[in-house]
Amino acid sequence: MNKLTFDRKMLVIPYVFFLVCFVILPLLVIVYYGFTDGSGHLSFENFLAFFTNPKTMGTLVYSLVIAVTVTLICLAIAYPVAYILAKGEYAKHHFFLMIFVLPMWINFTLRITALKEILTVIEWNLALHPFANTIVGMVYDFLPFMIMPLFNAFTKLDSSMIEAGRDLGANSLQTLTKVILPLSVPGIISAVTMVFLPAMTNYVVLDMMYNSTYIMGSLIGSYFSSFDWNNGSVISAILLMFIGLCTILTNYAVQSKAERSRA
Amino acid sequence: MKKRNIVLLAGMLLTLGSLSGCGASQDDTIVLRVANWEEYIDEGDWGEDEVIELEDGTQIFGENSLVDDFETWYYETYGQKVKVEYSTFGTNEELYNQITIGDVYDLACPSEYMIMKMLREDKLRPYSESFFDPEIEENYYVINVSPYIRSVFEELTIEDQKLSDYAVGYMWGTLGIVYNPEVVSPEDASQWSLLLNEDYYKQITIKDSVRDAYFAAITLSYYDIIMDPAFLADPDYHEKLSKILNRTDEETVARVEEILSKAKRNVYSFETDAGKADMVTGKVVANEQWSGDAVYTMDQADEDGLELCYSAPKEGTNLWFDGWVMLEKGLSEDPRKQQVAESFVNFLSMPENAIRNMYYIGYTSSISGGDDGMIFDYLKWNYEADPEEEEDVVEYSVGYFFDYGKEDADERYTLLTSEDQTRRQLYAQYPTKDVVDRSVVMACFDEEDNERINRMWTNVRCFDLKYFFSE
Repeated sequence: MNKLTFDRKMLVIPYVFFLVCFVILPLLVIVYYGFTDGSGHLSFENFLAFFTNPKTMGTLVYSLVIAVTVTLICLAIAYPVAYILAKGEYAKHHFFLMIFVLPMWINFTLRITALKEILTVIEWNLALHPFANTIVGMVYDFLPFMIMPLFNAFTKLDSSMIEAGRDLGANSLQTLTKVILPLSVPGIISAVTMVFLPAMTNYVVLDMMYNSTYIMGSLIGSYFSSFDWNNGSVISAILLMFIGLCTILTNYAVQSKAERSRA
Repeated sequence: MKKRNIVLLAGMLLTLGSLSGCGASQDDTIVLRVANWEEYIDEGDWGEDEVIELEDGTQIFGENSLVDDFETWYYETYGQKVKVEYSTFGTNEELYNQITIGDVYDLACPSEYMIMKMLREDKLRPYSESFFDPEIEENYYVINVSPYIRSVFEELTIEDQKLSDYAVGYMWGTLGIVYNPEVVSPEDASQWSLLLNEDYYKQITIKDSVRDAYFAAITLSYYDIIMDPAFLADPDYHEKLSKILNRTDEETVARVEEILSKAKRNVYSFETDAGKADMVTGKVVANEQWSGDAVYTMDQADEDGLELCYSAPKEGTNLWFDGWVMLEKGLSEDPRKQQVAESFVNFLSMPENAIRNMYYIGYTSSISGGDDGMIFDYLKWNYEADPEEEEDVVEYSVGYFFDYGKEDADERYTLLTSEDQTRRQLYAQYPTKDVVDRSVVMACFDEEDNERINRMWTNVRCFDLKYFFSE
């Protein structure tokens, strides 16, 4: 009798099930709706309409500006913090790491509501600075997502590398640019991807911060709520391609740089 | 080991018992699946000091939820067990999406335009003839519905189908502006141009909804026509106003887009849900609002000692209502369901239950109580003022609602109320005749217009590269 035996490979079954049901199938649905018209015929009209309408292009630009600004600010704040938490004298105290990650444990709408009240006290009228408020709200929201991957990258970074650099005569700046920075690039990339895409689509922050201008996420939402599955899907697909392209390009750049330095 | 077996056995028996219980209940209990707006029915559990005591000594109190009370009432009246599966939705579009995706309901309560859309798509079943028979004692809806609401329903048709055959009124009201009278003058607040008024730069919110924004903007784009004295005096004024404010042609949509783009730069924001709280906390000084929400906002502000007012703008206001419709797909599963669904509507239409709903949710019921004076008594209980105790007491007539078209109606349905109530909760809950005269129902847009209007809305909301450096 061929007994059914447990194979270690079978552990992957739950994930494959998840992958197919919640990642691959929905993606196919998006592509199907994105490139068909209402009656199910293949059509590139929606795709072209997005790029020919100055208003939707304006939204793409606006979302990009927001996402880039948020990502840069988050990076500027998170990079030194993550380094200190991982390598500095506080490294042994998990308490400090916890303080930075703690906001993640509190409901996000609650945090933004509180932030809204604080900003109202400072600015008096929130509606006068919708862009600035959006940036503040998003930085506040996404900072922990930037810190965590960087923190992990720094803990894995071998301290002897830094010491070796110093021994070979590098000053602090040189250690940073020639040793720490190149070694933390994978961490930076994963941290940036954690923040960049959500920043382009997280319209809840805009809604709550009284910014009535659409970003990509709200644009998709507005199409879906008016039952326009085709236009909503095509924008989701465009966003996906855009992010995919960015990831491929950065990976390529990092790899070729690594090869060059090896050569 | 033995012990564990016993526990297991007991567990299995319990499961079996409950399973068979389930099976039995499916046989003789009719399940009615109801979809309603969130917080749109009396859920009971009132505090002990909340008893409503009317002039004639009638006491009204919400102990259990109306849904539970219906199940009891139905069993007592018809000797048949029913179970209501009650679910809620947040927007009309959400309900529509749920239905198209495959959720099945028997009875739902969408707004007028969504009723029209569903009717056009053959999703609804007409009410039975016996439902409209006033001779039957249990037909509380027909007996108690406001004659005014009935006349509004009867005028509405879509593709030669009368709306009144398919839908019955639940709550109704107007679209207006809640404002803080200390900052905004009543004169400024009495017109839709408030949204463009630069004196209140970044201090007013509009609703984040295409239809509500569209309505405000269309009154502005035809301001010169609809405020012309000759037009106002026209015998067909109401009909003509309704035609103009329901225009969806390209030229109109373009004008609306221009106005809304201007408004977007002037207002605080397009709000989805924050408007009510922001009025109370003082972040904004005026806010486009449905009358029922306006009552809620004013009540909330009163508790904080802030006095807010409501206006139904003079150019015209949107008369809206939510109505009960029976869904063909759900009812076709069980022939007994239609009677239960109709009974549910009738139950909610008992004056006493209408009052419980109004008290609990703050909206205005379509029920006027027929010959029963209970609803008017409730109005008095809420708003009547004694001229001997208060100054500035005025007469306020709502005859049209209780006895539409009768000349002496106003005499019988006039109450004495404090002067400020003519701008506050009473005015929002039961508008005066002149407000009703300039209110129009906004029909649902047809496919083609809908697409154009949605595109216009997206354009308004998208980022305009022209203003790249100013935002």
